Amino acid sequence: MTATLAPTLIRQDGRDKVTGSGRYAADLTVTGMLHGAFRVAEVPHARIRRLDTTAARALPGVYAIITAADVPEVRYGAFLKDRTIFARDVVRWEGELIAAVAAATPEIAAQAAALIEVDLEPLLAVTDLETATRPDAPLVHAEWATYEADENLVRDGNLASRSTIVKGDADGGMADAYIVVKDRYVADGSHAVPIEPRAILAEWQGDHVTIWSSTQVPFAARSGVAETLGMPQNQVRVIVPHLGGGFGAKCELGFEPQVAALAQTAGRPVKVVFSRREEFLLPDHRRERMILELETGVRRDGTIVARRAHLIIDNGAYSMDEPFLGQMAAMFAVGPYRIPNVDVSADVVYTNTQPSGSVRAPTGPTTCWALEQHHDVVAERLGLDPVEFRRRNLVHEGDTGPTGQVFERIGALETLEHAAAAIGWGRPLPDGEAIGIATGWWPSFPGASGANVTINADGSGTIVTGAQECGTGAVMALPILAAEVLGMRPDEFRILYQDTDAGPYDGGASGSQTTFNNGRAVIAAATEVREQLLDLAADLLEANRADLELIDGMARVKGSQTSSVSIADLASQAAGAGLLLGRGSGEPPPTPAVETANCVGRLGAESFAAPTFFTHAAHVKVDRDTGVVRVLEIAASHESGVVINPIGATGQIYGGVAMGIGQALSEGVLLSEDGRQRNPYLLDYKLQTVADVPPIHVDFVDAPSPTGGPKGLKGIAEPPCVPTPGAIANAIVRAAGSRVRELPMTPERVWRALASTNGEN
Amino acid sequence: MRYLVTLQVNRTSYPVELEVGRTLLSVLRGELGLTGSKEGCDDSECGACMVLIDGRPVNSCSYLALQAAGRQITTVEGLASGTKLHPLQQAFLEHGAVQCGFCTPGMLISATALLAANPDPTEDEIRAGLSGNLCRCTGYVGIVAAVRSAAAELANAD
Ligand code: FES
Ligand code: FES
Repeated sequence: MTATLAPTLIRQDGRDKVTGSGRYAADLTVTGMLHGAFRVAEVPHARIRRLDTTAARALPGVYAIITAADVPEVRYGAFLKDRTIFARDVVRWEGELIAAVAAATPEIAAQAAALIEVDLEPLLAVTDLETATRPDAPLVHAEWATYEADENLVRDGNLASRSTIVKGDADGGMADAYIVVKDRYVADGSHAVPIEPRAILAEWQGDHVTIWSSTQVPFAARSGVAETLGMPQNQVRVIVPHLGGGFGAKCELGFEPQVAALAQTAGRPVKVVFSRREEFLLPDHRRERMILELETGVRRDGTIVARRAHLIIDNGAYSMDEPFLGQMAAMFAVGPYRIPNVDVSADVVYTNTQPSGSVRAPTGPTTCWALEQHHDVVAERLGLDPVEFRRRNLVHEGDTGPTGQVFERIGALETLEHAAAAIGWGRPLPDGEAIGIATGWWPSFPGASGANVTINADGSGTIVTGAQECGTGAVMALPILAAEVLGMRPDEFRILYQDTDAGPYDGGASGSQTTFNNGRAVIAAATEVREQLLDLAADLLEANRADLELIDGMARVKGSQTSSVSIADLASQAAGAGLLLGRGSGEPPPTPAVETANCVGRLGAESFAAPTFFTHAAHVKVDRDTGVVRVLEIAASHESGVVINPIGATGQIYGGVAMGIGQALSEGVLLSEDGRQRNPYLLDYKLQTVADVPPIHVDFVDAPSPTGGPKGLKGIAEPPCVPTPGAIANAIVRAAGSRVRELPMTPERVWRALASTNGEN
Repeated sequence: MRYLVTLQVNRTSYPVELEVGRTLLSVLRGELGLTGSKEGCDDSECGACMVLIDGRPVNSCSYLALQAAGRQITTVEGLASGTKLHPLQQAFLEHGAVQCGFCTPGMLISATALLAANPDPTEDEIRAGLSGNLCRCTGYVGIVAAVRSAAAELANAD
């Protein structure tokens, strides 16, 4: 960890959080505030025949009720504008909003929402992924062809988008292969489950609105409100109080427009706080259900010659970022391996279920779980050790990726060797225990981002940024970078963040991109201040500017003990004249060039910018009688370029691994026949507890990327949940002899796999 | 029907008028303005709302406010002494036990109860003691380490 700058950073927001004085969105109250509640469809697919709010309006304490009729008719969506903020004519999933109520108390609001009369004519629900695109399937969106969409989208009826990667000649490769292995995996959807259910409070003054929201992406929320309510962005201010986790579920536009419109109609501020059930059912960000068919041709020596894959991905009822995620899944189905011939397609299909959307490393863990099991099947057929199989196929510097990018210095292979060594690969284990391994990759996301840095009259520093802190500590680590540029300590800075009227634009707590992009912006802003300080110091010390350095809170002539002036003194001088103000954004590093002539459905990120590589090894114990799998130990090795804040980075690995274990073993959306969720409660949707999570060994491989973020770093927050389910799956089969091809690998499914007689792994 | 009762929270008396069905959590967060205790589920499943009642950890979302009258209630706001953090709070900061912080109030309360009952817990005892508190961010690693370190600190202070 060469670039470690702050071995034990204490988070600026930590004291707020441990004392209980930090406010989250649900904790806020403003004068005159009402409470809001939503009326949702509660059926998967229906035509709205009649909607009558008369009885609800008559309830004492009700101030306003709004439906689609009360807001502009605007269709929105990132790549495919297929949805409105309230249902119009048809409801397409059980969590779709029909109306919103503002009332004096949460109880009255809920009561009034229930009193709204909704006459629904049931329509056939599309829930099965494989039959959804058959010609005889009912259409989820009868008017799909009229929707505005990204011109690169390939779509047709219930096929919301198709992305392909075609490279070389897959047919020829398969024909030349020594063996060809083909198999199929099915994964349930799952949830992000931040412990904070979301809350939104909107208050109008004049023609502008302030929205306090538990969003991960305040700028996207702002532009979404402006788009759907038809107002300029500068009349919408989104402030995020402390955010109680998001993991992707609080990305994109949330429920801000509805609450803003409700507050405007009521003429009073309105707050909506979700119950846990609502937090499971209403967000349009569920981890996607998937079916994965994988086929690999290998030579006798174990090198892969061809990959075919067909993925079917549940889009749910509306498309948020899912078409883009289909494209990502296609990249993950190739994986960080050298494969000359590739033919992969990913179909994102509409169903009458909750919309899918980014949940920590969207499509990553599920695809890696299937692919890495598939790779172990291939290795087994060849009689090769799984680690050796990966060693022979992983990408190296100079290799070409699935879409033609040429890899810079990377550490994929090192992560494999380190994880294998840390877990003790090959060591003898008691009966019923085994070790499995899985490797994966994930991109960084270069993008625009801005920050301002000032030095106050007393020499203390302030960073003002639009970046969003979701808990990872990425924003909390920004002072490390400013401090290094200015020769100060990180704790001499305060950060003002996640307020769209205060800081310049940032993409938000999404795509693990905060340090990558906003770190660059903070360094650029601090560098401007540095120049200003050096100018002042050169005058004052009558020294040549080039001979000066900023160090230990001083500007001094390099090497001199006497010729120096403190930054505080310089700041107090500047306070009377030219202020110390820096602003920065910096040029995002380029994404690698690509060869995608034969590919369709390309929506950006066709190549992986500054990709990160990682391997997890899992040691598990399987109880053959019950199918219960216990994870005893995980070794996680990650190449994330470099690590600048170890306490933050290891924290991401620990949390990601725990989430990965959950997705592997216990977390899955149970759907009824007609597509309704049967387990929207923490009692039935099981997260890992402290008693479940095993010891986790963390290792970082250094490989600073020339096209990475500051110091060559790469994104780190999402990847740690990616390879865990695959490593556990591969351990299960080695421990118990049967492969589990359904996710999550619940005791019942493991038990059934063990009981099945075919004995095939 | 409303009852006038006095709640003793963090050594302060709060007279409040309450309906029978009100949960302690809603009164703490509402009438008393003590929003440190969080609501993660309202169903006794996450532990974010945990408070001490006469030293025992309780999910305040599933505890009637009226039942708490006459008892000593401690919330996360009552752990520090003035501006001096409790050793558990300090250890949570130093060990990376806090990320989003939404589970933190409940975790700290749970850990306080654990150390009061068992000042020198083993790792397994710590894990058992905190198993009613869900955290989605940390994988619990920093939390367990923080409790262990605070236990040592408290033992040295005695
Ligand atoms: S809010 Fe009380 S246990 Fe979750
Ligand atoms: S720190 Fe976020 S839930 Fe525990």
